[in-house]
Amino acid sequence: MDSEIFLNERIDVLAKFGTGLNPCVPIKFRRANGREVAITDIGLRHPTMQGKRAVHVFDVTDGSSDYRIELDCERLTWMLTRMGDAI
Amino acid sequence: MNHEVGCAMREDYNKDVPLIMHIDLNSCFATVEQQARVMLRNKPVAVVNRRTDQTMIVTASYEAKAAGVKLGTKLKDARKLCPGLIGVESDPAKYRYVYHKLLDIMNDYSAHVTMKSIDEGVIDFTQAPQAIVDRGLESIGIEIKQRLRDEIGIAMRCNVGIATNRFLAKMAASLHKPDGLDIITHENLREVFGTLTLQDLTGIAERNAHRLESVGIMTPLQFLDADARVLHDMVFGGIVGEQWHQRLRGWEVDDVATTVKRVGRQYVLDDFNLSFDEILQRLHHLCESVGGRMRKQGLSARGIYVGTRTFGMKGDKRRNYWHASYVSMSPFFSDKTIYSLARHLFVQAPPNIRDINVHVYLLQDHEPSQASLFADQIARERSVVDAIDELNDRYGEHTIHSADTLRTSPFVKTKIPFGSTRYL
Repeated sequence: MDSEIFLNERIDVLAKFGTGLNPCVPIKFRRANGREVAITDIGLRHPTMQGKRAVHVFDVTDGSSDYRIELDCERLTWMLTRMGDAI
Repeated sequence: MNHEVGCAMREDYNKDVPLIMHIDLNSCFATVEQQARVMLRNKPVAVVNRRTDQTMIVTASYEAKAAGVKLGTKLKDARKLCPGLIGVESDPAKYRYVYHKLLDIMNDYSAHVTMKSIDEGVIDFTQAPQAIVDRGLESIGIEIKQRLRDEIGIAMRCNVGIATNRFLAKMAASLHKPDGLDIITHENLREVFGTLTLQDLTGIAERNAHRLESVGIMTPLQFLDADARVLHDMVFGGIVGEQWHQRLRGWEVDDVATTVKRVGRQYVLDDFNLSFDEILQRLHHLCESVGGRMRKQGLSARGIYVGTRTFGMKGDKRRNYWHASYVSMSPFFSDKTIYSLARHLFVQAPPNIRDINVHVYLLQDHEPSQASLFADQIARERSVVDAIDELNDRYGEHTIHSADTLRTSPFVKTKIPFGSTRYL
């Protein structure tokens, strides 16, 4: 399997909310250890339901690794849930 | 044998304007993974259902297919063919999202959209407004391809096939993968068939090919030229032969609505050394899943089927099949009853179990149509089941379940059902 790490880490996210097909665009996030990750590309954004709670899942990259960050629409919190390198 | 072939048989090719469009997201899951995870793009990717080397490949990306990786190959064998192959565990939520986006896009063009599976669908333009038809289906196909890229992502590609019936439209969609757009009409039908083999035709696999070859039909062109009576009497032995005769000529015979006849799940054991009690727990989990799916469709069942495949003796690679079924006088709907019946059948299963399969059939409306002697008892059971379903809807699948299945969730995960869009 590819190297994928599953996490459940609360993160700070700078995101732009606008109009159009992609109204929410995360720009960068800061991890619990203080490291900042600048997002260079959003691969896919898809909503999922955790019970009746909507969570928007963003698969993003900083150009060297892929990350999955999730926006909980009820609690308005961002979590980093996965990171992986395609080796 | 002297059957009269149906009087509605048409010997000529369908010369109507092609108004059926088939859209196919080839290598769908792998393409979606490559769309989501930018680092996977242009790399050989295999989507699997479990994170083990023994698991079978569900979908391979075009880069992996180019290296000879095929669906159904074990991941460890595929890695021998393609050393850089990246195994990715399937993520059904992502595929469901793409499915719904594709469905939304298709619905913008016609009210007659049928999704054939999670990655392919058909748009029937025969009743579409003239303005849409006047645009030409080719330009609509190109627009749909562009919208997929704009609305989902730039890595998304699809094949579009246009023809006068569903069969030829699907064939057209498979001519130039990936990202093809082809039209089959009565004018190029023979030319297209001339480039194909029998097994390239949708619905003609090994057994049907043997049937055709046994009467001297070796190519799609010979199949096309075959007499309807030969197909009816000598090849398919019935109306299926006539349907093939019409289908190949571009006449529609596949526009048939299907109904739910059975609800079931199959599971390959995560470990072949499990104790019988542990296997029963997994069976229990499957029964809960089947019960939930059945009730979501507003149905209850009267029949239950349990089957297994078992390993043969040491050195004997043949797999043995075992199954048992039971039909109840009265309908059942609760997970408890489904498991109780399934367990009763399953205890007769032979050892060395490889996989388990449980499904319910003889489905009927969940609401009782007539009063029962046990109405009070059934009403109580229904209240409990409804309350559990409501909680599971609110807080997520498998929130409330039997204590027996407490440890099975990491193993018996819900995966994407191929061939059915009922649960998407």
